[in-house]
Amino acid sequence: MNKIVYILTFLFTVSIVAQSDDVFSKGNNLYNDGRFQDAISTYESILGSDIHSAELYFNLANAYYKLNRVAPSIYYYEKALQLSPKDADIKNNLSFAQNMTIDAIVTLPEVGFSKLVNGITNAIAFDDWALLSVTCVILFVILFLIYYFSYTTLKKRLSFVGSFIVLFIAFTSLFFAFKKYAIDKNNNPAIVFAQESDIKTEPNLRSESAFQLHEGTKVQVLDSYNQTWMKIELANGKTGWISTEDIKLLSDI
Amino acid sequence: MNKDGDNFNPPSFENFTVVGGPSQSINNSWINGVRSYSKTYSYFLAPKKRGNFKITQATIEIDGQTFKTLAVNINVTAAVDKPKDPNDPDYIVQQNIHLVAEVSKTNPYLNEAITVVYKLYVSESTGVSNWRELDTPRYNDFWSQNIDIKGIKIQNGTYKGEDYRYVVLRKTVLYPQKTGKLNIEPLTLDITVDVPTNRRDIFGGRLMQSVHRTVAAGNRTINVEPLPETGRPLDFTGAVGEFDFKITTSKNTLKATEAFEATVEVNGNGNLKLFKLPKLSLPSTLEVYEPEHDEKISVNLNGMKGKSSDSYTIVPSYQGKYPIPSVSFSYFDLKSEKYKTINSDEIVIDVTEGPINEGSSTGNSEISNEQIVSSNNQFASFKTQSNFIAVKQSVFFKSSLFWTLLLAPFLVIPIAIIIRRKQDERNSDTVGNRIRKGNKLAKKYLKEAKKTLGNKEQFYNALERALHNYLKAKLNIETSDFSKEKIQQILQDKSAEETAIYQFLELLKNCEMARYSPFSNVEMQQDYDKASNVISLIDRQIK
Repeated sequence: MNKIVYILTFLFTVSIVAQSDDVFSKGNNLYNDGRFQDAISTYESILGSDIHSAELYFNLANAYYKLNRVAPSIYYYEKALQLSPKDADIKNNLSFAQNMTIDAIVTLPEVGFSKLVNGITNAIAFDDWALLSVTCVILFVILFLIYYFSYTTLKKRLSFVGSFIVLFIAFTSLFFAFKKYAIDKNNNPAIVFAQESDIKTEPNLRSESAFQLHEGTKVQVLDSYNQTWMKIELANGKTGWISTEDIKLLSDI
Repeated sequence: MNKDGDNFNPPSFENFTVVGGPSQSINNSWINGVRSYSKTYSYFLAPKKRGNFKITQATIEIDGQTFKTLAVNINVTAAVDKPKDPNDPDYIVQQNIHLVAEVSKTNPYLNEAITVVYKLYVSESTGVSNWRELDTPRYNDFWSQNIDIKGIKIQNGTYKGEDYRYVVLRKTVLYPQKTGKLNIEPLTLDITVDVPTNRRDIFGGRLMQSVHRTVAAGNRTINVEPLPETGRPLDFTGAVGEFDFKITTSKNTLKATEAFEATVEVNGNGNLKLFKLPKLSLPSTLEVYEPEHDEKISVNLNGMKGKSSDSYTIVPSYQGKYPIPSVSFSYFDLKSEKYKTINSDEIVIDVTEGPINEGSSTGNSEISNEQIVSSNNQFASFKTQSNFIAVKQSVFFKSSLFWTLLLAPFLVIPIAIIIRRKQDERNSDTVGNRIRKGNKLAKKYLKEAKKTLGNKEQFYNALERALHNYLKAKLNIETSDFSKEKIQQILQDKSAEETAIYQFLELLKNCEMARYSPFSNVEMQQDYDKASNVISLIDRQIK
């Protein structure tokens, strides 16, 4: 029974994808004709059927950029980057969109060992790390059994050394999988949508405003209160509370 | 006595103040040879209060003798009205010359312009030949500006219903900077008034006399109302009046490193000098210089009028589009007595040529020196192909499949080791091996017999064939010499035990017998078991 449901869902998804390809190219035509607002609504109709792609977000962001709408443009470029972190076109256009933002936030540079570790951790997704570790464990077992059952000294030596190297890789990638998982779990970026927003020192309107943010700035959400206030952190380490209406989480689609 | 005296002792002038004196005068005269001498001490006194007072005696010594005056009684009454002498200069000044401060509005709003005009009214009957300001008023808590008056113009007007000539001495525009009751200090003038005298010149015309008198415009109190709290916009900075607000740029399309100007301009009527212009908030990637402030404001009786502007010089370094966001400007409109807000239009500056901004930070925590690889530094156009995936992806990491795949392989190792151990044990146990081997062999040969179990003829045929095949394979006996004696002989040679050989032969006998006599299924089963036992037994024993 479960299997049938699974297969049906799969077939359904496949049919949606086929339809969406048509809608996507229709959106592209509208974009090419300069009808950006129509293109946006066409692209967004695809998102309604619970599928997405880096290209879709990229085109959507481009259309918003053409309409000079900073915040949604940056928002969708960031979404596209989440799906396809290495795409040069996306990074290029994101920098165009970031030119339009008002806030200049200097990122705190990472140095030394933590930079190295974070660099390796962020190289691939945690599922890939998990897959790598599983593969390495299976390889280790095979090599170990070869060592155990083989009779020639050379074979034994090679397989023994090989098996332990593979085991080491397995544990390291398992460590990175956990680390990447933790990073992704804590990584909750959002984009400021309000044209100007006061960042308060406390989650209420009475409190002092610590600083101001403008449309298009990327922030990290650390905490939330009553679903009306969110604690945010900037790339330069400043923190404060912002009204939930003023920002949109990247995980919000 | 006609002599000068000593030790003059004046009376104590209680209840009086000595306004002047003492002054002495001496008078010597000879009349008909007779000398008379007099010396007078005079005091000017002013009474301190009403009532009967006595001025006591004064004493003086002349030639050793003391002379005393008589005490004088003085009755001080209430003040007596001065007779309205039309020729008294004071009276003339009071009646015919008026200095008036005219205030345009006594209850203005904070920062609303009011004017104070000082007018000197002079009636037709007198003349003022000159004036001098004794005290210039200071306007505390006001922003003030004097309006210069070019030349004195004598105008005709009325004051309290009578015809007067007047001159405007001073005009001042004031902007109250504080709420509540504010005081405007008086202006005091020293004027030279021409007063007619009783004397006439030879033509019968009156001679005029110049008299200095001081006149002052009275204190004026102004009640300044605060601006209403309700509906006050957040960006209100105190502008009161009627304004127009706009932002303009000198260019909309340019190349990188070219400069352009953005001007924030407020023009209109109101306290232009007294508020700050709203600031432009510009994209951080633009290079912006300190704004240049420019004011073209004229002040007249209606207040300040003109424009105030800030021009920003901006240099874009990179290509791209830069929005100049809408800026709002709020002011208090005096006509409708409400706050009004003007939003400027959003302007987009298009920088068409130039380097791309490579210093932007993109990812989670990357440093900003990440190089953006772009083939032509252009804004990339849309992508034509897309691979859609479901938004909700199943997560492999931490799923049960993941844990199974991660840990199960480790279980394979002990299992493999145990299997290996077992195998080794078996290999080392030779007797057991033989038994297993024999059993296996018997099973192999008796396979066909087992299939036909129950069918008498076929079963015994198969059984006999099986036994023969076994012997053929094991002992290399040819079919031709297949006699029981021969078999017995060979088996004995191979050192098989007697009982085994006997059982084997018995079985062969049974096979032959079965062809001619009935056998039950039970016997068949027994024979089958026997055969399998015997084969394994012999197999173990023979060498």
